[in-house]
Amino acid sequence: MEIVTAGLGAIFGAVIRYAITNYGKKNWPKSFSYATLLINLSGTFLLGLIFALSLPVFVYAFVGTGILGGYTTFSTMNVELLGKLKDKSYRMFWTYLIASYLGGLILVFAGFALGKLL
Amino acid sequence: MNSKLANYFSVGFFAFFGGALRCFLTNIWSQTGTFVANISGCFLLAFLTYFFLQFREGRDWLATGLSTGFVGAFTTFSSFNLDTLKQLQSANSMPVMIYFFSSIIFGLIFAALGMYVGNKLGKRLAGEA
Repeated sequence: MEIVTAGLGAIFGAVIRYAITNYGKKNWPKSFSYATLLINLSGTFLLGLIFALSLPVFVYAFVGTGILGGYTTFSTMNVELLGKLKDKSYRMFWTYLIASYLGGLILVFAGFALGKLL
Repeated sequence: MNSKLANYFSVGFFAFFGGALRCFLTNIWSQTGTFVANISGCFLLAFLTYFFLQFREGRDWLATGLSTGFVGAFTTFSSFNLDTLKQLQSANSMPVMIYFFSSIIFGLIFAALGMYVGNKLGKRLAGEA
């Protein structure tokens, strides 16, 4: 049942991600992966927060594992990073890599700290 | 159905299976499950992306559903960071370094492998069609 709950949450997460990515393709500069970075960092902050709240198993499976897990994406980020290497955009590559991984670490802590205060 | 709406339905439909499968893997293997989902997902997404670049033929909804929906929901950046936080809190810093840096490196390596295989296979099938 937990697996089905997570799957249902992932539907919402992925559709929101797809909508933001589509919006970004139309409205944001194509030179950098703003959409995926925004999605991954905001989702990471929220997951840290949700985790700190110690929610019941099924609520966490739906919101945390499902919605936020399906919203953020590790694979798209890596394929985009690879694309920057292919294009020899090394500065973009390192900026994106460091912004994602360092930003992710900082934001998961920030979300967790905020959740503990609530 | 218009193709934009079809893509959204396809993303949602396939995301269910991606999220459910990831949840299954984390249930049996815990953080190793997230790692396996993320790294294999990098291969799969790069494979699909470059395969469908060569061999598309109007399968837009299928390409989008499988890549953005299934693999996008299967892999997760937020749980990766949360797993790192949990490991840091357990104060055993060596495994967390291994987890963190091997995710970065293997993510890129497996994406590169997926690109290579997807390109090859896509070109071969497009050549035969």
